Amino acid sequence: MSEISILAILILSLALVISIFRFITANEIYTKILTVNLIGTKIVLLILLVGTVSIEKDFTDIAMVYALINFISTIVILKYYEDKEVSK
Amino acid sequence: MRHHTIPRIVTKLLIPVILLFGLYVQFHGDFSAGGGFQAGVIFAAGFILYNIIFGLDIGKSILSVNTSKSLMALGVILYLMVGFLGILLGGNFLEYNYLSNTPINGQLLGIFLVELGVGLTVSNVMVLVFYSFNDISEEK
Repeated sequence: MSEISILAILILSLALVISIFRFITANEIYTKILTVNLIGTKIVLLILLVGTVSIEKDFTDIAMVYALINFISTIVILKYYEDKEVSK
Repeated sequence: MRHHTIPRIVTKLLIPVILLFGLYVQFHGDFSAGGGFQAGVIFAAGFILYNIIFGLDIGKSILSVNTSKSLMALGVILYLMVGFLGILLGGNFLEYNYLSNTPINGQLLGIFLVELGVGLTVSNVMVLVFYSFNDISEEK
């Protein structure tokens, strides 16, 4: 069980590196925002997988908070780039 | 954001879950990760998300700037009152053992009230920071 988790963590880290490479090479701002969202989702999955390997039990809470912040930040950045003002 | 249906619906579904998670982090903080500060930030994040999606006018009609400032001060007063209650009942500042009939009940009650004060203050400070940034962008 633990070996499968570690293998999944390695594969997910590779996907994370590819996502970061895509973030660097992206030209449009919307592609960059989508890529940041993608990286955030992968980090949520990484936190959950590390939680299955580790003896600590609090990783699920942290992953939920991270998913929440990821969602809110994506909405706010998209709204900022839509009309250059957040609260209208 | 009147014509953006998907963010509005998703936010409507998500905000109760966010606030419930904030309450979980607040009141389960003595057994797992969390506490007053983190719960306050999560709670404020839910409210700020509501403000961003549905407009600041509706948000300010729910929690005005003056109410937010009063609640912020109330949290600090609650913290200090628990602290000075420890002195009045014969202990040191913020010594929870004297708050109830047994030391264990006193510890539970004291940490509950102190974390409640911290959560109230932090969430309202975060909301006020958001309001202040909005005022700065309106002045320009």
